[in-house]
Amino acid sequence: MTDATINADATTVGGTGEPIIVCENVDKLFGDFQALEDINLRVGKQEVVVVIGPSGSGKSTLIRCINRLEKHDRGRIVVDGVEMSDDVRHITEIRREVGMVFQQFNLFPHMTVLENITLGPRQVRRWNKRKAEETAMQQLERVQIPEQAAKYPGQLSGGQQQRVAIARALAMQPKVMLFDEPTSALDPEMIKEVLDVMQELAESGMTMIVVTHEMGFARSVADRVVFMADGQIVEVGTPEHFFTSPEEDRTKLFLSQIL
Amino acid sequence: MTAGPTGTATLEPLPPPEADTGAAARLGPRRWVRENLFSSPLDSVLTVIFGLLLAYVVYRGLRFALVSGRWEIIRVNLTNFAIGRFPREQVPRLWAAIFVAAAGIGLGSGMAASAGPTSRPVDTLRRLAPLAVLIVVLLSLARTPTPALLTLCGVAVLVGAHFLGRRLPARLARRVHWVYLGTVLAIFVVLTQFGGVAWNAWGGLLLTLFLAVAGIALSFPIGVLLALGRRSSFPAVRVVCVGYIELIRGVPLITLLFMAGFALGFFLPVGVPRPGLVTRALVAFVAFTAAYVAEIVRGGLQGVSSGQVEAAQAIGLSPVKTTRLIVLPQALRNVIPALVGQFISLFKDTSLVAFLAVLEILSVAQLVTQQDDFRGQSLQAEALVFVSFVYWTFCYAMSRASQRLERRLAVGER
Repeated sequence: MTDATINADATTVGGTGEPIIVCENVDKLFGDFQALEDINLRVGKQEVVVVIGPSGSGKSTLIRCINRLEKHDRGRIVVDGVEMSDDVRHITEIRREVGMVFQQFNLFPHMTVLENITLGPRQVRRWNKRKAEETAMQQLERVQIPEQAAKYPGQLSGGQQQRVAIARALAMQPKVMLFDEPTSALDPEMIKEVLDVMQELAESGMTMIVVTHEMGFARSVADRVVFMADGQIVEVGTPEHFFTSPEEDRTKLFLSQIL
Repeated sequence: MTAGPTGTATLEPLPPPEADTGAAARLGPRRWVRENLFSSPLDSVLTVIFGLLLAYVVYRGLRFALVSGRWEIIRVNLTNFAIGRFPREQVPRLWAAIFVAAAGIGLGSGMAASAGPTSRPVDTLRRLAPLAVLIVVLLSLARTPTPALLTLCGVAVLVGAHFLGRRLPARLARRVHWVYLGTVLAIFVVLTQFGGVAWNAWGGLLLTLFLAVAGIALSFPIGVLLALGRRSSFPAVRVVCVGYIELIRGVPLITLLFMAGFALGFFLPVGVPRPGLVTRALVAFVAFTAAYVAEIVRGGLQGVSSGQVEAAQAIGLSPVKTTRLIVLPQALRNVIPALVGQFISLFKDTSLVAFLAVLEILSVAQLVTQQDDFRGQSLQAEALVFVSFVYWTFCYAMSRASQRLERRLAVGER
């Protein structure tokens, strides 16, 4: 099998059928190392795409390219009709519509929970303080920790911190949410509370791309599962198809190692 | 930890470690002495040796301070130590400035106290003890009751302003730096404007404090800008900043002072009026300290994780706002001890202007021993010990203030 055929095309759109994220022939290089190779991916509105694969396969790099934390070298990335380019206005416009949740939470330790959440709406969306705080409290209710609003991140457990991070991203009222291994840094007993919040979010119709090792989450929440290896998309399919009858040998090998 | 998966549980603060709650008090003095001072033969020998040493030093120190020291030289020259050549008929301005300072510091500390964790009055007193001792010593040396009365008024203003500050709305506490900035500006206006005295004619402790305060206030923002410039993505900015920092750090401070004092003419274009000696010295201090502040701040900037920047970017913050709201506050908090160390250094280095024949407090100490009344009496020790004590009280206060600031800003840190 040649590289050309192994690089699966994920251009069929799920969700409402209307694409909100389009990646065409995206390449990303770190020096000589090819982190992403000829990535083609379309994500539909309200679709939940879970990206899995061995470490170093380019999963994180892919979603980091979607909001320009990494700059792609070739190809096109279009988010909600705006093409990602060097133009700062385009970058800002896209970042405003794309929320991101990190493995290490990355809350701002010198600000309270409420300040963490209102920072973006106030500074970027230019809302007044009252509106920003009302929205922030709504989001905290949504992740079920409104009583922690006045605390500092260092006073919260890992699971609580990650839920604050989700609330912070949601407060910007994004159209898309990116999750970069959101439960990988958590103690086992805290993983569920974060996954529950994510599941609730998916059910509410949020468009999501989730990089994760939680196969249970992929199986029950994903509309489509994307399997990546060595910087390429190897296989794409519904969770049912993906976990029961994978076609590619690389996928079978990976599943046999983790299940 | 009591956090559960439902997220409703909270983390309760742990009780302080035993060592902090006064183990000595619980042990009882006899056991404490046995366990800490005489727990082994070597321990006992060391305790005796260092105990004797300590007793000797304390004895000599007290003897000098209370018996053998001839403090008349300080008493006579108290005004010289305080203000040097500052015109005597303008002294009321100084008292006015002291009242302004008392009001500003009182108001600011009151506002900060209304928002932050409150400290017990005992702690406040302990923190301010050396400064209080200095003031009491100075007043006890004065010959008239006027300074003592005015000082009492100043303390009253300070306390009054403090309680006024506490009653202000807590949200104003975030603007407390404007109060301090306004106070400093007001002091300068009171001293120099409307027929006042330009700082080139100041002297003594007043001049030392001026050089230190102005040096810190000016070198800090310049140093921060240099540190940011050093990390700039524009090569030209980067080269200029790196060049400046490395150049300054490669030259002794005294060299810069000499250049500012004697060689400035070579650098300034013809026709530009030559600034006074104090101004030139200040420029040298600021130029020097800014380079060191820049390197300290750069260390702090490097300590902020890239995840913080990415999180800010992901929200959509511009690079400027990311730096201002996310990176700098964390970076500066992490380098408070080093920054305060640098500023304490600057405070003591102001004594080097003595080489420019500018009369700050150390030069005054040198000069008074040459006065007709005291010449040939070997009173250098008295003068120097006195000046050392003055320097120490201020440095100690700065160091304590920095520890307190660190604790305040560490709210919520684990």
